Amino acid sequence: MPETATISTIPAEALEALRRIVGESSVLSAHEQVLVYECDGFVIEKNTPDCVVFPETTEHVVAIVKLCNEYKIPFVPRGAGTSLAGGCLPVGGGVMIALTRMRGIHDVNLRDHYAVVGPGTVNVHLTQHLKGTGFHYAPDPSSQGACTIGGNVATNSGGPHTLKYGVTVNHVLGAEVVLPDGEVVQFGGYTEDNPGYDLTGLFVGSEGTFGVCTKVTVRLTRDPVAYRTMLGVFETVEDATQAISGIIGAGIVPAALELMDQGIIEAVEPAFHFGFPLDAGAVLLIEVDGLEVAVDGEAEQIVELCEQNNAREVRKADSPQQRDLLWKCRKKAFGAIGRLSPSYCTQDGVVPRTKLPEILKFITEASARHDIRIVNVFHAGDGNIHPILLFDERDAEQIKRVLLASDEILNRCIELGGSVTGEHGIGVEKINFMNKLFTEADLETMESVRLAFNPTGLCSPQKMLPTAGACGMEHIEKSHPARRAAL
Amino acid sequence: MTTTESSDEFTPATTDEARDFLAENAAGAGRAIFPVGGRTALHYGYASTQPGIAFSTLRLNRTIDYPARDMTITVEAGIRMDELTEILKAEGQRLPIDVPQSSRATLGGVLATNTSGPRRFGFGTLRDYLIGISSIDSTGKTFSAGGRVVKNVAGYDLCKLMIGSLGTLAVITQATLKVIPQPEASTILWCAAADWQAVETALENLLTSATRPVALEVLNANAAHEIAAEARLELPANGPVLCIGFEGATRETEWETETMTAELQAAGIRDVAVVADAEPLWFALTDFATSSDEPLTFQANLRPSRLVEFAELATSAGVSLAAHAGNGIVIGHLPDNVTTLDAAVKILSPLQALAHEADGNLVIFDCDETWKQTIPVFGQSRQDRALMQRIKQQLDPRDILNPGRVFTKNAVSAAQ
Repeated sequence: MPETATISTIPAEALEALRRIVGESSVLSAHEQVLVYECDGFVIEKNTPDCVVFPETTEHVVAIVKLCNEYKIPFVPRGAGTSLAGGCLPVGGGVMIALTRMRGIHDVNLRDHYAVVGPGTVNVHLTQHLKGTGFHYAPDPSSQGACTIGGNVATNSGGPHTLKYGVTVNHVLGAEVVLPDGEVVQFGGYTEDNPGYDLTGLFVGSEGTFGVCTKVTVRLTRDPVAYRTMLGVFETVEDATQAISGIIGAGIVPAALELMDQGIIEAVEPAFHFGFPLDAGAVLLIEVDGLEVAVDGEAEQIVELCEQNNAREVRKADSPQQRDLLWKCRKKAFGAIGRLSPSYCTQDGVVPRTKLPEILKFITEASARHDIRIVNVFHAGDGNIHPILLFDERDAEQIKRVLLASDEILNRCIELGGSVTGEHGIGVEKINFMNKLFTEADLETMESVRLAFNPTGLCSPQKMLPTAGACGMEHIEKSHPARRAAL
Repeated sequence: MTTTESSDEFTPATTDEARDFLAENAAGAGRAIFPVGGRTALHYGYASTQPGIAFSTLRLNRTIDYPARDMTITVEAGIRMDELTEILKAEGQRLPIDVPQSSRATLGGVLATNTSGPRRFGFGTLRDYLIGISSIDSTGKTFSAGGRVVKNVAGYDLCKLMIGSLGTLAVITQATLKVIPQPEASTILWCAAADWQAVETALENLLTSATRPVALEVLNANAAHEIAAEARLELPANGPVLCIGFEGATRETEWETETMTAELQAAGIRDVAVVADAEPLWFALTDFATSSDEPLTFQANLRPSRLVEFAELATSAGVSLAAHAGNGIVIGHLPDNVTTLDAAVKILSPLQALAHEADGNLVIFDCDETWKQTIPVFGQSRQDRALMQRIKQQLDPRDILNPGRVFTKNAVSAAQ
């Protein structure tokens, strides 16, 4: 097992060298400057990096990585820090490589269906850039207004439209990567089926442990000609999930199929005034897209299936403006949670679609058992649940209950044949679920693949694998105070 | 059940037997292991550099779990593709991957070779459908990755690593796939073009077509002739042909057929045959990739925008060629009159050069074993090759699985 270098402070000469690489103003090292980088969207565990560097070119990244190797300093890449699983938590400190200045859209080629972007490109900026071309980049995480494409690559992000269009990996053709030893390699590229192993596919979702992505070649998809967006209003969550089962079972693949329960509606409605009924048990946001000739038929079928499953009503978005507003409500739902609670923890379990009623019932019970309010807004069509646990992070006792409830829900997902993360990643948050999902042999194999990329363990230490750069679980539990509190 | 065994072949009846055999082999003789399924792609890659044992997955062919309403299926890797298709069809579902010789090919083999066909344009490839995998490595260690749910980012995605790994990393024993509903209708438009320029214009126009084809095949006259004959259809095959496939609800495909016919007319292609009973033609288009007695079969990958240029060049050299035009994937067979290595190299050299220039490569599916000493089977080596070798070294440190088949010491493939 390789030893992970963990140091408390960076030698002054290394810091000087970093400043020479990227310029004085592109290195932050004062405590008050790096404090903001102590966590990402997962706020339960925190640790500041020793410094944050802002490279602007691949050459900068190479020089930074080589320097870290020379001084045996751990380093961790970071995009916008919207990860919800602590993927960019600088465990053990070290150098944080913030890629937000590498945000160029370098090339758009419609004839060959690709775009080349810097890792710091904000997801929605590419969408805006492509507007009017007839093409789009399909993955649209709810955080797309802030999250970066490099971060999407690291976590293999999903989003509401993955039901039909797939997740990030289905839309990444290639990546330029600075390996943990400083070597630059190109995986995949402008063309499909390059000979050899699919290192692009393997790299996507490796959560920064295989190197630093410095350019991404993404696939562009033709825009759908027509949309029909509907809102099904149900008395109970059970009815809504039965309707989902009915729709999928009928062989319809909607572009999106999202569920919001009463708790989240209560937060969203006062924020956006869409007109959601506050007394409904759940609403389903359903979108079909495709050819004009096809969408009406599918929409009719969906309305029927909702009605068969006791929908109180099914509303249709009559205009693009109404559709946009409906989607804004869904995508900004997380932002509206501030109206309900000072802090929240979003879980990311997955169950087979037919087990949705079962897991939602379990969540309600867990909420009562631990006296933690839980609201739900999630990608129902994929079976990807996002229970949002509301709490006050100043109250250590509440944190403990939140972690217990989260663990119970995720364990139940595993028992139902699912997974503990559909799109947010393992990061540090779910690292001790890995040996529940996988056998020792599975993890050993994953570790050996990691060693091929990252033999020293300096790149993103203690992420993804319980064995990554450490001796195992005891170490992880020791190094994560919040985890320990929950045990 | 008893195990089929001979000195140079082993066909385990269960995955436990498979595991034990590999563990014993690793602990003992450490003989080379050649994983095989339906044996439809044994010619792909270099010959093994060591004698060894063919390790057949054919009896590992059970369906483990098929929760149809979840639209996933878990099967053992030795299942034949036609059998898998039948199982899915009974529930109105399918795996939309076109596989040549599907009556023989096994799922494990199809995964190991990353097989695809015409409909990859609309539906993607195996990497878009494989959500879980179990394999046994050369020491007998069973490992899995992914799971049985359609969305899952826990752990490294070893599914992607195993697809196309040609049996060099582990023996695939089980797979979980995401499946999709069967379409109500499936139609192919067979469009005979006057010349290559007309094909180029049509492909460019397709970028803004109101329709959404699931397949975009470009055939030269030789290939068109063979494919029409194979499908037992009377179709024009005197020049280049563009095949455009549509699938979906009947009203969709009917509207798309009508719309596309009009769009093609505007681009000067008037000779359009609508093949509504499309199954035999899909089959023939897919099976074109199978080499029978041609001297050499290759696959080139390039930017889609360079495809017509490549097709023209290959056609002028007598190559029979079909391409998944929207994806920039070309399958070519050298003509029968190519009987020597020199003649093959003469045709291939400019094609290899053009593929490289178009940011792609040219790999050999099948040719005379002795030619592989000279022709780089996996094309021009890319800069990620050293990392691939490190992964191979990590997962199979003793080089037991398919030694030399991909990472040969042969100077040709390493030369760059």
